[in-house]
Amino acid sequence: MTAFHFFNCAILTFGPHAVYYSATPLSEYDTLGTSMKAALVYLGTAIVKLVCLANFLKVSENDEFDPYQESLKALIGLVDVAGIYFALTQLTHRNISQNHKFQAVGLGWAFADSILHRLAPLWVGARGLEFTWDYILQGLEANANLAFSISMAALGSLMWLRRNKPKTLIPLIYICALIVATMPSITSYLRKRLDWHFPEVVGFELGSSLVMAFISWQLFSACQRRSS
Amino acid sequence: ILSAIVSLPLIELEARIMSSRKPGDSDVLSSLYSMIPLLFLLLACVELSDAAAAVDVYRLVQYDISGVPFGSRIAALNHHAASLHSSAGADLSRSVLIIPLRELNISLVKGNFQLRLIALHLELDYVELDSATLVMTEYISQKKTLGGLLLLLPQMFNFESGDMAVTKDDIHEMERLKNLLVELEELLIHANIPYPVYFAFEHDDIEAVLADIQRNDVNGQAATPTNGGYKFVVSAPEPKKLASPIMTNIQGWLPGLKPDGDTNQLPTIAIVASYDTFGAAPALSVGSDSNGSGVVALLEIARLFSLLYSNPKTRGKYNLLFGLTSGGPYNYNGTHKWLRSFDQRLRETIDYAICLNSIGSWDDKLWLHVSKPPQNAYVKQIYERFSGVAGELGLEVELKHKKINISNPRIAWEHEQFSRLRVTAATLSGLSSAPELFQRTGSLSDSGYLVSEDAIRRSIKLIAQSIARHIYDQQEDMPVFADDSSLAVDLSYVRLWLDLLSRTPRVAPFLTKNDPLVAALKKELAEHTHEVTVQHELLDGMFTFYDSTKAKLNIYQVASVTFDLLLLLAVGSYLIVLFSFLVITTRGLDDLISIFRRPPSRKSKTG
Repeated sequence: MTAFHFFNCAILTFGPHAVYYSATPLSEYDTLGTSMKAALVYLGTAIVKLVCLANFLKVSENDEFDPYQESLKALIGLVDVAGIYFALTQLTHRNISQNHKFQAVGLGWAFADSILHRLAPLWVGARGLEFTWDYILQGLEANANLAFSISMAALGSLMWLRRNKPKTLIPLIYICALIVATMPSITSYLRKRLDWHFPEVVGFELGSSLVMAFISWQLFSACQRRSS
Repeated sequence: ILSAIVSLPLIELEARIMSSRKPGDSDVLSSLYSMIPLLFLLLACVELSDAAAAVDVYRLVQYDISGVPFGSRIAALNHHAASLHSSAGADLSRSVLIIPLRELNISLVKGNFQLRLIALHLELDYVELDSATLVMTEYISQKKTLGGLLLLLPQMFNFESGDMAVTKDDIHEMERLKNLLVELEELLIHANIPYPVYFAFEHDDIEAVLADIQRNDVNGQAATPTNGGYKFVVSAPEPKKLASPIMTNIQGWLPGLKPDGDTNQLPTIAIVASYDTFGAAPALSVGSDSNGSGVVALLEIARLFSLLYSNPKTRGKYNLLFGLTSGGPYNYNGTHKWLRSFDQRLRETIDYAICLNSIGSWDDKLWLHVSKPPQNAYVKQIYERFSGVAGELGLEVELKHKKINISNPRIAWEHEQFSRLRVTAATLSGLSSAPELFQRTGSLSDSGYLVSEDAIRRSIKLIAQSIARHIYDQQEDMPVFADDSSLAVDLSYVRLWLDLLSRTPRVAPFLTKNDPLVAALKKELAEHTHEVTVQHELLDGMFTFYDSTKAKLNIYQVASVTFDLLLLLAVGSYLIVLFSFLVITTRGLDDLISIFRRPPSRKSKTG
């Protein structure tokens, strides 16, 4: 029974990545290499973030929302943005269109994130007899994270890879990028300062990820229309 | 194995993170955590115990008498939980029934016992039923068995809890619960139960679980994750026979004053008490009254007489023999073996023996049980001394005669073992009638607070004074152990030992040769007497005991199969919808349709 539960939560957590890859033209253009490279870049950024956090962050005794600590965490979170920049611009990709490049990078990024953060708790916890809603919520969070990563990659590719952007949309692009980049800080603020519980936070993440994905989709297609 | 060892502390860390329900809480830990498990945890398949509650439980005793099995025969448990409120037609053969003691209802009907549910489940012959139990007879008439039974006892029977727990119930309620438990124990001890039976104490965790289960059973709802179906798991190995159960008898010898030139042996007075217990749950049988009170009294009397005998001027012309015997519940098997080991001459010098049994919870009357007829000169003498002192102390001692039946193997009092060897003996007890086998042997209901220190103090005074009268041949009433003298009964000493005994389960087969309590008793007796000898004997082969008396019960809140299937359905349909949505938005609707149409068109091409 509990292996069943593990299977359910696993396909909820990792299924969307596989579905995304096979459903979109990504599979036709064989962009697996790009995704794998993006995953490795994620691994590298995670190590860098770890080192920075260990050096600069003080572990607080209580769960209070300390603005100084949180802003420090947000700064270190920008290392993520740098990672995506690196993955988008510095890596050599095969000839893939802009359209597919950001999707592949975002997908690889989100997949690595899910594996590293969610596979182990799932393996250890979901197979036990005791039932909690945690693993299902975690799976939903992985879905939201996928949407966030792809939005971030889209906005990143707009910011750094596209030369001719419509003037009016530029500030909007940067604002959206900022929001998506600081999403971890926002969720921790909600959890600590406003005392939201895990289900509510996940709900918020899902909603905001859909909104951000929609906005970045519209921005991207607007820029696409412009250039083509 | 190495990876498992290294990953264990990390798993603990992870468990703490997960249990606080905030997985993204601390970035440091999560980053650290994301690295290493990738390497280790995928190799180590460690399963954490993540139960909703873990409770200490104590198993019903399992024993055989001459091969006939009694008690609960199984230790391992892995079933869903149910309560008394479940509907009549419910199948409980794969459920653990959890029953609080307070909910049981026993009524004494013309000497027969009527016990709701328990009697019927144990398939005993009691057939008096009221309308409330007709529900259960429906179930029982099909002669089904249970998956397991968990009895919840009030904290007042828990010797590990503090005194605060005792004052929750009023005196009347405590009496009722005590009587209930006595009768329940009697039923359980003498029945052969093919499923595990465990005792646990009331606690917030388990009471919350029970309330949940009762609510579900009343509503008749099937278990869902939010309403809680509970699974009770006790992982215990199969109970094994205890190889050679040992009884340890401890005796202390206090020699009297031998006048110079006298070659005759001095007469001896023996004071004996059995210190071991037997009850429905061997891990909980502390026996404060039976026979903790007797042991405490014996130690205090030994202390007082050692003070008297330390000075040659006050040393009496009698030897004193103190005996702490084991094997009491098993027809005083230990006493029997102890006496048989005596030298014939020593046995002949014993003037009389006083055995102590349950002298801690009487009000104003004690009984002196004898097996020789009351007209016997020796018995008369002993009784006169006792009743004389009793009168002075303001209490009553009554003589009770019970003839020994040689053909009956049952030995109800310790003095009968002496009488069978022609030694005059009597048992001083707060019990008025002889107990049956395994009755009043220090079981679950005999807990510390039911004993009164004052009763023990008065008993000690009575016994010590009577013996002193005999030794020093006093005719007038001169109190030797007056309350404000140096020979007064030391109440703090009594309290200390009573407290210790009330916290130590003492079922003989489970006491090893090097048991700390036995060593403590030996040391204490050595302080008060001249010479201490310890005798180890094997318990009578008629009795066989099994181990596995204590275990940990894990309570898991589980989800039903239907929930898992529904979840699979939901996730599956979500993925399909996501797939279709993505195909439509990125490749167009035609592509989606073509995916599903491709196989048939291929077939038509090749065919």
